[in-house]
Amino acid sequence: MTKKDRAPLTPAVLHILLALSTRERHGYGIMKQVEADSRGKVKMGPGTLYGSIGRMMGAGLIRESAKRVDQEMDDERRIYYKLTGEGQAALAAELQRYRDVMAVSEARLAKGSLAHGH
Amino acid sequence: MDTDDAGGRYRSWYERLLRLYPRSFREHFGEGMAQTFHDLCRERSNANRRLLGFALWTFVETLVGIIRENTTQMSQWSKTILGVALGALAALMAPLVASRLVEGWHWNAGSFVFVYVLFFAVGMAFALIARTMKVWSYKVGVGLSLLMGFGLAWSTMVHVADSGHPEGFVYYAVIVEGIVGASLARLRARGLAYTLFAMAATYALIAVILPSGAPPDLARDMAIGHGVAVVLLTTSGLLFRHASLAEVK
Repeated sequence: MTKKDRAPLTPAVLHILLALSTRERHGYGIMKQVEADSRGKVKMGPGTLYGSIGRMMGAGLIRESAKRVDQEMDDERRIYYKLTGEGQAALAAELQRYRDVMAVSEARLAKGSLAHGH
Repeated sequence: MDTDDAGGRYRSWYERLLRLYPRSFREHFGEGMAQTFHDLCRERSNANRRLLGFALWTFVETLVGIIRENTTQMSQWSKTILGVALGALAALMAPLVASRLVEGWHWNAGSFVFVYVLFFAVGMAFALIARTMKVWSYKVGVGLSLLMGFGLAWSTMVHVADSGHPEGFVYYAVIVEGIVGASLARLRARGLAYTLFAMAATYALIAVILPSGAPPDLARDMAIGHGVAVVLLTTSGLLFRHASLAEVK
């Protein structure tokens, strides 16, 4: 998929990609990171999270990593998820789209305030 | 301790809820979802927060996910069957409400089941036949013909039951004619057009020849009803004719 024909990502997918951009995480870890990234504004339940994970795996954006214990939590073995190259590219493209929108908005606002200044 | 008990109970219920996911999804993510739910319960317990509201919200949120995943994984054919089953259920609301409002309308449970099966059969017949051709007039013609067939079968049955005149069953000849004609035409628009015209003619002939034995007022209403039925059958024939011409183009 080229950068041009990439459709905008849903908020849930974008947040999951962002959460996995720094390191591999398990489901609960992703949830907590999304909550932190969005300053508590985005709260996903397991249904939304794993539904999105399933679709993202199908689209090749993320994949499962090795099953292992999270030392900070308990002795249960958990499945970790990590970004694929396609996922990194999708995230980069989405962030670039946001930057483009911001650039246009700022230019328009600056123009508007200049016009008002006259 | 109480919160731990509640957490264990909610986790057990949640694991049962997860069984409603499609098998492939459940096998892949069920364990992770149960773990995540458990983690969230523990987080709230450690913060001395109540679990009930959170558990209810998560159950509803997961139920929405279950519906979405099941719908996504359904084949087109399963979706059609589900759609027809729900449509038949919606149609069943009409006699259900009417039986509550109309005096003397006393259907037992068996009657409702029978009518539901009829609605479902008509709906499935429409779904199966209408997909054979994409022309709008063909689809409308199929819908109208099936509704007419259903109405004719039903009204004849009710009329014979009420009047006690079994000769009324002769109207079923029109339905038999339709089934035979549609089979011979192999559901092609041109053949169906001829079939519907023939059905309209047969219906009119029976209505004229067969004495109704009804009092004048009722006989007039029946004549109007017969006239409407002939017009609708002819309209279906014209729709199929339109579809056959579109097919040729």
